[in-house]
Amino acid sequence: MRILLAEDDRDLSRQLKLALADAGYVVDHAPDGEEAHYLGANEPYDAVILDLGLPKIDGVSVLERWRREGMTVPVLILTARSAWSEKVAGFDAGADDYLTKPFHTEELLARLRALLRRTAGHATATLQSGALRLDPRAARASVDGEPLRLTSLEYRLLHYVLMHQARVISRTELVEHLYDQDFDRDSNTIEVFIGRLRKKIGPDRIETVRGLGYRIVPLAGEA
Amino acid sequence: MTSGPQRRPSLVRRLVLLASVWSLAALVLTGLVLTALFQQAALSRFDQGLNDVVQGLYSGSSIEADGRVDAPPMTDVRSLRAYSGRYWQVAEPVSGGHLTALIRSRSLFDAELKVPDGFLARLQKSPGTVVYDDTRGPDAEALRIAGLLSRLPGRSVPVVFLAAEDRSPVDRDAQRFAAVTLSALLLLGIGLIAAVVLQVRIGLRPLFELRREIAEVRNGKAECLSKDYPAELSPVADELNGLLAYNQEVVERQRTHVGNLAHALKTPLSVIQAEAERTPGPLAELVQRQAETMRQQVEHHLRRARAAARSQGNGEFTLVEPVVDELSRTLESIFKYKKVEIDWICPPEIAFLGERQDLLEMVGNLLENACKWSAGYVRVNCRKEGPDRFSFTVEDNGTGLPIDRQNEMLKRGVRLDETSAGSGLGLSIVDDLACAYGGTVTLFSSDLNGLGVALVLPAPKMSSHGYDK
Repeated sequence: MRILLAEDDRDLSRQLKLALADAGYVVDHAPDGEEAHYLGANEPYDAVILDLGLPKIDGVSVLERWRREGMTVPVLILTARSAWSEKVAGFDAGADDYLTKPFHTEELLARLRALLRRTAGHATATLQSGALRLDPRAARASVDGEPLRLTSLEYRLLHYVLMHQARVISRTELVEHLYDQDFDRDSNTIEVFIGRLRKKIGPDRIETVRGLGYRIVPLAGEA
Repeated sequence: MTSGPQRRPSLVRRLVLLASVWSLAALVLTGLVLTALFQQAALSRFDQGLNDVVQGLYSGSSIEADGRVDAPPMTDVRSLRAYSGRYWQVAEPVSGGHLTALIRSRSLFDAELKVPDGFLARLQKSPGTVVYDDTRGPDAEALRIAGLLSRLPGRSVPVVFLAAEDRSPVDRDAQRFAAVTLSALLLLGIGLIAAVVLQVRIGLRPLFELRREIAEVRNGKAECLSKDYPAELSPVADELNGLLAYNQEVVERQRTHVGNLAHALKTPLSVIQAEAERTPGPLAELVQRQAETMRQQVEHHLRRARAAARSQGNGEFTLVEPVVDELSRTLESIFKYKKVEIDWICPPEIAFLGERQDLLEMVGNLLENACKWSAGYVRVNCRKEGPDRFSFTVEDNGTGLPIDRQNEMLKRGVRLDETSAGSGLGLSIVDDLACAYGGTVTLFSSDLNGLGVALVLPAPKMSSHGYDK
């Protein structure tokens, strides 16, 4: 397993490199954002440990660039900032996990293991409707290559309608699919979710078929 | 229209009052001068008539051989009819300052013209010139009297020629004139005051606009003042905007400082901790413990400093929906290993009257807590509670908290401050922040089996300019 470690603190880098090597990983180290970006974009890593406070280019920008360029390697973010706004910014940029400094090395290793396990395997075909793409392996969706920011319910809703592109899906069916447990919501909430989804993917991609339900349609002019 | 506007700043009242006093004083003065001028002009024309009569008497009179004075025939009707109001008389002064009539107009009937006190003295002082005065007639009417003292050839005692006429027509004219002038001026005055009030209100409108905008900024409906103010006010608006920006900047700088300090401290702490982990021993244990204490201290003071840097009352507000959306995605990512689903509903118009950072902290911690204890499902509901509150409920399907533990937490809920980070339910931050914003946190048992937390926070008022605090 090959890991990229992007961290500017010399002592911490040295320690982490040692600990990761002990755990059996091959580690490349990047001391600044520029190098981290270059390495991440060009080398086939299994995971990246990315400090947000990097010199030259900050970690969030590096991550955003990677994701825009289509790099899907799981990224674990390290930061000293524990404020929620930082975490949100990190995950919105495309992070897969997050660790606040100071942390125990054991915890970092455990998180890394979980991250690698999660992203392994499950090769499923990409679902597509026009410029809208959904990659079930990375659990990511995008429009025109621009990543969408979806909550898991929204993602599942989109996933479901994309899987059944050919037909109209009724609200009841969606409720049943989304709430397989006992605590079901009022079926009106589907409308709320569809509305939210439309806001994120564009208003015309999900069509309301009156009295029947919803259907996903590619936009005119899109293949 | 003239009454000053109620509950306005005294500036309007002062301007209106000042302008009104001035114009009213000027109008009153004008009225008095005009009336006096008119009266004078009317009287002098009236006097001219009397003068003609006196001169006529004088030039037409002659002395008979026996010393009697013979007056020219004055035959106009009013001189003949008794008490007609037009009289003449030729008299001579006798000892004691009195006059004795020699010849009288028929209109005097059996009365004599009485001259006012001092009239004779004035005549004697300037013989040959006509002297005017006011007196009373035989019918007690107000008369204007003109007199001329002169010597006639062949008579040793000087003769006084008197003509008098009822002056009430003049007085009536003057009164009528005064009345007309007064009403005209009164109208003008009312018009002027109305114009002043209008002018002041229109002129000061930008000031009221400024006040309304400041209220909006405070109320959280605007971030700064608009630019289009008249030349006198735009510097004030600019200064206020500068002040707002400066405040914002100070808050931001504080935050950055605090964040930088924390960042600067945390990386070395990580290094120390990691190093201690790698080399077991009593020293390492001590270092571990102390590093942990330091970490908690940093965390604690970071929170404190953040709370202190919060600028309350600058009316900032934050829409809740995007925050819930962002945090739901983030937390689902964080808890990806246990596949937690956050099922949230939040009307898009609900806003929090406070800073985004703080809302993120509160909601983030509540959601994290719920995700941590849930068995994979977290339900979030956000709704409006009255005009200036909204509630935010988070429930999970975990095992929950027994009622007595809940009560215990709530009893301490006033100040969960001292519970150290990580050990409790992490509600202390939420509680701290909610308290600072005048909100509340309550715990309950959810029908999903887990714990429910209800957060009630202030929302900006949707209508009304007043900011009730």
